[in-house]
Amino acid sequence: MHFLEVRNVKKVYTTRFGANQVQALTNVSFGVEKGEYVAIMGESGSGKTTLLNILATLDRPTEGEVLLNGKSILNLPHREIAAFRRDNLGFVFQDFNLLDTFSIQDNILLPLVLANVPFSEMERRLKPLARRLGIEQLLGKYPYEVSGGEQQRTAIARALVTRPQLVLADEPTGALDSRSTDSLLRLFRDINEEGQTILMVTHSTKAACFAKRVLFIKDGEIFHQLYKGSLSEEEMYQKISDTMTMIATGGVVCG
Amino acid sequence: MGRFFYGKLAFDNIRKNSRVYVPYIITSISTVIMYYLMHSMAVNQSLGKMAGAAQVRSMLSFGFAIVGLFSVIFLLYTNSFLIMRRKKEFGLVQVLGMEKKHIARIMIYETAYIAIISVLSGLISGIILSRAMFLLLLKILRFEVKLAFEISSSSIVSVLLLFAGIYLVTLVWNLWQVHLAKPVDLLKGGQVGEREPKAKWLLTLVGLISIGSGYYIALTTESPIAALVFFFVAVMLVMVGTYALFTSGSISFLKLLRKNKRYYYTPNHFTSVSGMIYRMKKNAVGLANICILSTMVLVTISTTVSLYVGIEDVLRTRYPREITISSYGITEAHVVELQRNVSEVLESHEIAPEDTLEYRSLVFLGQEEDGEFLTDIEPSSLFAGNPQSLTLVPGEDYSRMAGEDIALEEAEVLIFSKGGSYKHATLSVLGRTFKVKDRLSRFPVVSHEASITQSHYVIVRDMSVLEELFRAQEQSASEYKSELRHFLGFDLPQDADSATIYRAIRLALSSGEPFSHVESVDAVKDEFYALYGSLFFLGIFLGTLFVMGTVLIIYYKQITEGYEDKGRFEIMQKVGMGLEEVKKSIRSQVVMVFFLPLAAAVIHVAAAFRFISKLLAVFNLTNIALFFWCTLGTALVFALLYALVYAITARVYYRIVTEGQALTQIND
Repeated sequence: MHFLEVRNVKKVYTTRFGANQVQALTNVSFGVEKGEYVAIMGESGSGKTTLLNILATLDRPTEGEVLLNGKSILNLPHREIAAFRRDNLGFVFQDFNLLDTFSIQDNILLPLVLANVPFSEMERRLKPLARRLGIEQLLGKYPYEVSGGEQQRTAIARALVTRPQLVLADEPTGALDSRSTDSLLRLFRDINEEGQTILMVTHSTKAACFAKRVLFIKDGEIFHQLYKGSLSEEEMYQKISDTMTMIATGGVVCG
Repeated sequence: MGRFFYGKLAFDNIRKNSRVYVPYIITSISTVIMYYLMHSMAVNQSLGKMAGAAQVRSMLSFGFAIVGLFSVIFLLYTNSFLIMRRKKEFGLVQVLGMEKKHIARIMIYETAYIAIISVLSGLISGIILSRAMFLLLLKILRFEVKLAFEISSSSIVSVLLLFAGIYLVTLVWNLWQVHLAKPVDLLKGGQVGEREPKAKWLLTLVGLISIGSGYYIALTTESPIAALVFFFVAVMLVMVGTYALFTSGSISFLKLLRKNKRYYYTPNHFTSVSGMIYRMKKNAVGLANICILSTMVLVTISTTVSLYVGIEDVLRTRYPREITISSYGITEAHVVELQRNVSEVLESHEIAPEDTLEYRSLVFLGQEEDGEFLTDIEPSSLFAGNPQSLTLVPGEDYSRMAGEDIALEEAEVLIFSKGGSYKHATLSVLGRTFKVKDRLSRFPVVSHEASITQSHYVIVRDMSVLEELFRAQEQSASEYKSELRHFLGFDLPQDADSATIYRAIRLALSSGEPFSHVESVDAVKDEFYALYGSLFFLGIFLGTLFVMGTVLIIYYKQITEGYEDKGRFEIMQKVGMGLEEVKKSIRSQVVMVFFLPLAAAVIHVAAAFRFISKLLAVFNLTNIALFFWCTLGTALVFALLYALVYAITARVYYRIVTEGQALTQIND
């Protein structure tokens, strides 16, 4: 049994009057093991964000099943969805999604506050995490007072503070400059090496080459996958590029 | 095709933005109706020559001026809000290739549609309502006139002129905003971080001081005259204080809340407190506006209602008996003559007077200092201070009225004080010193002036003391002399024809010397009803107008915040906030924002209560219990209405915050 299992997931969007149907996901199946770092790659419109939204319980598939630790996450009673999301999943978004009404510290603590965790416990978790992410000097500042990279680190801290089973990242480097991107990707790798399971959606080859495994999605289907194994990031980068070129040109992939 | 195209586009714009345009149109229609009603009543000929008609008319004219002024304010306020919301849209259509002149053309159509809809339906409703409203007015005033249904063309013209002006101004303003709109601003988006407001301790201090001194004036002013003088000072101080405290104090307060970790880091308070701190700067002025408008509503309605409801009390205070006769500068012979004349009239009508009150008196206005009553004070300086009146009454007159025998020595007095006690053991006036033998707890008749100033009724041994003091005053330096007075008042039996007797007495006394002032409650009742009734009518009318303004500000505030908060709630839901929690958090935030101004308004009114009851005394209303109940009733009704508006706007807010979200569909 996989830690996270996606079985034959299909998603069809229907326009309001049912005139047009758009198939976002045709038939997606894959599994993720505990402690894995998986990147899902695909071009715009390939269905990767739809897939992530389904995993995040933000959207529901038309058909298929998603299991976390063997339990379906699709049939949760709607009152429990928010709590489930809060307790099991951590999110990192492309545009950070920090709240400018909160200081950096309060942004990080938000999920804990929602979970009614006592303040002493919040403090106990906050300090080492902030140190780990290098933002302990910024805790009193506001999101608009810090750089993009620092904002994304705050978002990561917010995702990790609940000690989630799975971190879902949606184009986490999309709004960052190259230097921040590098340091962020190394951070993801390190966190993963400490045991955190991460699933990332991206179209950036650079972001993907840090992952242990890369799934390629095209026209709503898993098209191919690559294991990093003992390859260096540079070698992985090359392999991913080749695959992407092949997908783009429609060439046949053997492997 | 072009013309239809722009017209249709304008129509679609209004329909698409109906959430903000419908309240705007409703406001427009309501103000048109109110303005038309006030104006048509003020110019209506049917009021004719009723007693007090002139007063009523000037009151109504004042009313339509106020309605006009507030129409301008409300509509410009609402319009500026609408156009702010649409700035992005202007940017977008410019990016899409529309020129500013095209937008301007659409704006002209939009304004024209709204103006035509509002003015037309406002006028029609106004004309339909005017008859009912006029009947209501007449009922309140107790006027009995035949009412012809009339459509006032001058009122229609006035409405058209005023509102054409208002819409023209809004149009020019809007075109200017379109002119300023830059497509680049659109691309930047509205997500520019706003600096957290600093708690301004100095401003807090200023606020505290001005509210404090305003309250101090309200709570310590003793004399109604001083209350009249200081009323506007106190109002200004409290207004300044309200603005200052709402901008600074609330932020300081919220920051204190945030420092309390146990309070702050809980689901219900976390988002609401931080959201309010973030928004306080923008909203403080809005909240202060709501607070001040609410206070205005409460004060206007409670005072005018209690004056009207208490009109019989007022009449009894002002006219202690149905017929009253006051004479000044009397001698013994005059009194005898007057008594004879009055009894002749009464006998000829076969009427026995009831509850007769008769006394002679000498009244000084002045100031008391260490047991000495100073009478030679300039009136101007007198009214700035705390004027007191000293009414000397001979012992025999008091004995007759009170029905008890009192025996006083030459230099002894009894004293009855109203509006403050007399603390000294002796009383000196014009060089004579009296020993205060006793203090009375009540006095048979208290003149209406006594409700305005602090008064001491001093019972001396006999008339000779009054005459002596009268002569002593003649020799003093003061320009202002008091005269010996005589007062005669009595009620008439139920079936007596008050008006006839009043006229007969007036006729009988008209040739007398000195002049006697005859007053009859019945003769002035109509005028009182005209005055207090039109005040009442005006109070209700303006109260409604202010309520409308309050509701409007609240509604638009909530909507703006809803759009601002939409993104925030989306993020919070993504990190695990459930819809239930969204609702709770909104409630916590909205409740605080909503009821803060209401609570402040109630505190203002409570602090002003004593002060306003002094002012009402100037209008002869001394029934404080009545005023209390009217205030309480008004506050309760207003709070209910407020709660209703709260419920509606909270719903709209919730809908804005959650609409169009995938989450909602899944979670619900």
